[in-house]
Amino acid sequence: MIQYILHRVLLMIPTVFGISILCFGIIQLPPGDFLTFYVAELSAQGESVPEAQIAQLERQYGLGRPWYVQYFLWMKNIITKGDFGRSFTWNKPVSDLIWDRIAFTMLITLLTVVFVWIVALFIGKYAATHQYSLGDYIATFFGFIGLAVPNFLLALLLLYYSLKLFGLSPAGLFSPEYQDAPWSVGKWIDLLAHLWIPIVILGTAGTAGAIRILRANLLDELHKPYVITARAKGVPERTLIWRYPVRVALNPFISTVGWTLPELVSGSIIVSVVLNLPTTGPLLLGALLQQDMFLAGSFILLVSILTVIGTLISDVLLAWLDPRIRFS
Amino acid sequence: MSNKTHGASTDILLDIRGLKTYFHLDEGTVRAVDGVDFTVPRGTTIGIVGESGCGKSVTAFSILQLVEKPGRIEEGSIVLNTGGQNRVDIAALDHDSEELRQIRGKDIGMIFQEPMTSLSMMYTVGFQMTEAIRLHMDVEKDEARDRAIEMLQAVGIPRPEQRFDAYPFELSGGMRQRVMIAMALSCDPMLLIADEPTTALDVTTQAQILELMQQLQEEFGMAIMLITHDLGVVAEMCSEVVVMYLGEVVEQADVDTIFHNPQHPYTQALLESIPRLGHSHEGRLNPILGSVPDPYHRPSGCPFHPRCTQIITGRCETVHPDISRLDPRHTVRCLLHEESHG
Repeated sequence: MIQYILHRVLLMIPTVFGISILCFGIIQLPPGDFLTFYVAELSAQGESVPEAQIAQLERQYGLGRPWYVQYFLWMKNIITKGDFGRSFTWNKPVSDLIWDRIAFTMLITLLTVVFVWIVALFIGKYAATHQYSLGDYIATFFGFIGLAVPNFLLALLLLYYSLKLFGLSPAGLFSPEYQDAPWSVGKWIDLLAHLWIPIVILGTAGTAGAIRILRANLLDELHKPYVITARAKGVPERTLIWRYPVRVALNPFISTVGWTLPELVSGSIIVSVVLNLPTTGPLLLGALLQQDMFLAGSFILLVSILTVIGTLISDVLLAWLDPRIRFS
Repeated sequence: MSNKTHGASTDILLDIRGLKTYFHLDEGTVRAVDGVDFTVPRGTTIGIVGESGCGKSVTAFSILQLVEKPGRIEEGSIVLNTGGQNRVDIAALDHDSEELRQIRGKDIGMIFQEPMTSLSMMYTVGFQMTEAIRLHMDVEKDEARDRAIEMLQAVGIPRPEQRFDAYPFELSGGMRQRVMIAMALSCDPMLLIADEPTTALDVTTQAQILELMQQLQEEFGMAIMLITHDLGVVAEMCSEVVVMYLGEVVEQADVDTIFHNPQHPYTQALLESIPRLGHSHEGRLNPILGSVPDPYHRPSGCPFHPRCTQIITGRCETVHPDISRLDPRHTVRCLLHEESHG
């Protein structure tokens, strides 16, 4: 097992490098760079930029050099100094901007995954063991609605109704009075009070899908001979269902974490913009629009690393859950 | 063979009366078990034989209420006599009641046709065995472990301490069936129901498993209900035989009577259809005419009449025969005998 994990961790290194090169290359693909954007912006405001200043900026950021030299310098600074470069738009080091947002993104994403799992597990199990019952139909009905309605629409509806009916704005992760306050118990409680909204909104589609998957898998397993064996031994029905067929049906549940994570991170961009969440999404969108390449590159790099780690975790979980995988 | 003499203990362990198990499907109702009566004497081996679809497995599953929806026990009683005046009608128990769970695995153990899929691949052999032991016996974890290893040893599994921690997918089919037997017998049941236990195994393993079951019966003294379509196995193993056709018992007698003096035309036909070594000069086998009828369209009268060679035209198509008792332990459901015995 330990050997397996080590093997997988070593494999992660070239994967992450490959992804980072690809990301950097793609970010560089559109014509022009941040300076072109900057000069165009200033000229639009009627200001002219002296050639000398442009040349000086170009040198300062190393923008004139070929992309692979830029990539090499960027990676060298990340690995040796933890320096992700400077954001042009914010005129700050990238690392000052991203860690908070990465942390919030991780928090929301992880809680959403947990939310999806728990809800889908119980509803999916109920729907399978009560196939074609009223409860099953209701779960299926809401499942399909959850699957079909785009997240951002759900977010908009929620904002609209909470403002209209309660005069509340559920946007953001903090109430105004806590926005810039230092961390305290009150701020945590305030965070939790706001946190459930994005989690529910981001989780609906995933939950609906997971319910369908679990229901279908469990229906396949419920009548397998090993379930009858357990029943013939005298195992109580509740214990039996959770211990035997559900355990097998969980398999695809876990193996999908690998792609649920990036889906949640990228899928949350629009919801984050709508709900004004301090996650990576809105900042990444802005950085890409303004060709703020070090900021955008760093985000994508970190999210990729997290995804790769997520996949690793899901594989390890799977091996822990299913002895057949562990032994082969 | 000692297990062929049922004279020693004649009292009845299991008494099945008028058992009806139906499956309610969209296409109609399948009367898989349609009024079955038979008894299982304590400590003997009884064989339930018949073609596929005759209801022998459903009968076995009904005994532990393991028939799944849309199947249902409609009528009848399955009385288990656990000793003295302790009688319980299993058919009347709630399907998830504590009482029924205490019978499952404790008084009655069961093994199945598919050893490859009858054990969960997610848990070790040891886990699945101790689970059963701890459900029914008041023992600590390590006592349960000792008991499980002892049982693995008893069913002839080499290096039982190591097999205890193995997963079922690491074992062969024959080994898995041995584990199933060990598990079913771990709580010392009075009855072992074996639903075609050797059908999925290769021939040499079949013989080993059957021999093992006989040997364990001598050791533990439980009764065995052996469901099979293999008359060779019946001759080898059973002291008493129940022949089923389309959900009904057509003949029941001791094994010698069934093989040497069968009275029901179906039993006679079954026996004629088996190949015998050294009888090749007799020429071709005699298969039973036709095939088992569509379960939605049961023949009227005697269900066997369309395939019967001794049909009494005009009677068998319309009259459903009752059970005739030819002697105390030989019953037959056929008009030929109803006529002569009144």
